[in-house]
Amino acid sequence: MIKPSVEKNVRISNLIDIRKLTNSAFVLRFEKHDLSFTAGQHIALGIPDIIDTREYSIYSAENDEAMEVLIKEVEEGFMSPKFGKLVVGQKVKVMKPVGYFTINKDYLQSKRFVFIASGTGIAPFHSIIKSYPDINYSILHGIRTSEEAYERNEYTAGKYIACTSRDKNGDFHGRVTDYLQQNSIDTQAIYYLCGNYEMIDEAYGILEKAGVKPENLKAEVYF
Amino acid sequence: MRLDYSGKKNGMKYHIITLGCQMNSSDSERVQTVIESLGFSATDNENDADLIGIIACSVRQKAIDKVYSRVYKWNKWKNKRNLLTFVSGCILPADKEKFLKLFDFVFHTNELNLFPEMLKNYGIVTPLHVQETKARPHVDIDLFWLIKPNYQNKFEAYIPIQNGCDKFCTYCAVPYTRGREVSRSSDDILKELERLVNLNYKSITLLGQNVNSYGLDKKGSEISFAQLLAQIGEFGFKSGKEFWVYFTSPHPRDMGEDVIQTIAKYKHLGKQIHLPVQSGDDKVLIRMNRQHGMSEYRKIVDSIRKHLPDATLFTDIIVGFTGETEEQFENTRKAMHEFRYNMAYIAMYSPRPGAASSRWDDDIPLDIKKERFHALSEDLRLETSAYNKTMIGKIYRLLVRDTDRKMGYLSGQTEGKITVRFKSDDLALIGQFVNVKITSAADFSVQGDLIQVLETKVVENV
Repeated sequence: MIKPSVEKNVRISNLIDIRKLTNSAFVLRFEKHDLSFTAGQHIALGIPDIIDTREYSIYSAENDEAMEVLIKEVEEGFMSPKFGKLVVGQKVKVMKPVGYFTINKDYLQSKRFVFIASGTGIAPFHSIIKSYPDINYSILHGIRTSEEAYERNEYTAGKYIACTSRDKNGDFHGRVTDYLQQNSIDTQAIYYLCGNYEMIDEAYGILEKAGVKPENLKAEVYF
Repeated sequence: MRLDYSGKKNGMKYHIITLGCQMNSSDSERVQTVIESLGFSATDNENDADLIGIIACSVRQKAIDKVYSRVYKWNKWKNKRNLLTFVSGCILPADKEKFLKLFDFVFHTNELNLFPEMLKNYGIVTPLHVQETKARPHVDIDLFWLIKPNYQNKFEAYIPIQNGCDKFCTYCAVPYTRGREVSRSSDDILKELERLVNLNYKSITLLGQNVNSYGLDKKGSEISFAQLLAQIGEFGFKSGKEFWVYFTSPHPRDMGEDVIQTIAKYKHLGKQIHLPVQSGDDKVLIRMNRQHGMSEYRKIVDSIRKHLPDATLFTDIIVGFTGETEEQFENTRKAMHEFRYNMAYIAMYSPRPGAASSRWDDDIPLDIKKERFHALSEDLRLETSAYNKTMIGKIYRLLVRDTDRKMGYLSGQTEGKITVRFKSDDLALIGQFVNVKITSAADFSVQGDLIQVLETKVVENV
């Protein structure tokens, strides 16, 4: 008989904490075990005994002793409502971190980074900024209302700009693409874009037109 | 009465249907080994089979529709005779849940080693007989790779070297069906290659969803893809045999200069590169989440042209991807001419269940997709036709593969996988190397005259 083994790429982790950020968004914090990662990577998250998993960017820092993901509950979704019902002490299934939306560490000291996100697309940037606190960055966050400025106090004052499209309580009223069109663009910076494709498509066009070289434009659409 | 499904006493037969890509074909060869080890013999007629299985492909909707239509038919047959069914291969979680109710056995390919025990215990309630339980223990894919395949060809073979995908292209569901990338041990790969070469196999293809990310998952405890190729090249040199080794499919992101230089260094490494571009437009590539832009792709092709000037270049392209504008499509047409592909597998985009893009509007009308498909096919024809004409008058080494559609002719492929036919009715040449002088060229193939039949030994390229 074949001797069963433990699946090398999967860990079963205890849920340590759940931080409710809005009515529909929350951060799950769970045991990291031996899973190392590079900020910007993602994991597949599941619940034991449920066959499906979902990919989420890691929200926590590389050297944080636990791992976190930022989840927005999709009403019609299959997994996110199930994650939303979990309580501390329950178990989650974590598949090893992978992904290429990471920063080139050679540029950490010498380059300025501009992170542009819509909604929960901010998660990889949160991980990068918490992992490399000395990084020269600014972050544009496209959200509908200011309550979606998830844990904005985590970012250095003045470096986080909430672009709110449906209320005026953010730092800028309008979409991130409006912000880019109305403000000067640093053509020497390295730009990272994460979120829905429509935002990325438009922002990419604006930045390219302004003179940012394609090799300095990195993007990851939701998948 | 409980039937003995060991197959040994009953002269039982099995029928297997393999859908999808080369990876599934390769997996199927191992599945057949296990079934035949139980005493079953293969039959081409499903009506005669006691055991029918499908190596499925959830990645393509048509393929999965085929699975459902077949199994409904087979389940009706069960009212009249004894029949067992199984499904394995690339299966999305959602399909797997449904298959559990339709098939007698559902298992991942890495669980193939459990299949004999499942069959033996069929009808007895044990934890292992159950088609699929959520508590079923995990089995490493390394054990699957240790099974000797039932090779379906006497001179061409696939060797799986890697399984799974970490790239998450938005149009593809493979990461959800096959999971994270796992590399096979290089020792095992080299042993299988050595065995095939000793059996006089002439064309061997290393297989993986992301074949050139080989070793990356092992984080230093396994050699790199370039090092693996180098070891194969060294073995080829020492073997005294003539054979060509290819690989598919690579991802441009992992196509390092070291890989290209290694191919250039060793004569047994086939000078044919398959480098999927998918689109010639940066924004479409972002939407596809391809992790590279055209500037990076261009650098790789420049390197191929520099180090492998005689290599042929193949690609995959999707036309009519969600949101693809006319201008973006035109960039793909430009890429076709810029990179002068020798072959492009062009597909009209269709959403694949489970892939991220299946949640987006498939907003390019079918007639536009068809127009783009035909326009790009015409661009390809111009490129291949121009290249094939340059072959006229030159002598090429050919691996003879089959009889040609044209009566009295045989067909083969050059090292660069250009199809050539030549006049001969000597079927003994199939599976052998010959030298052919090219006399005429068509759009996608060329014709030549046989000038030399080669022995199975290393000879210099001509």
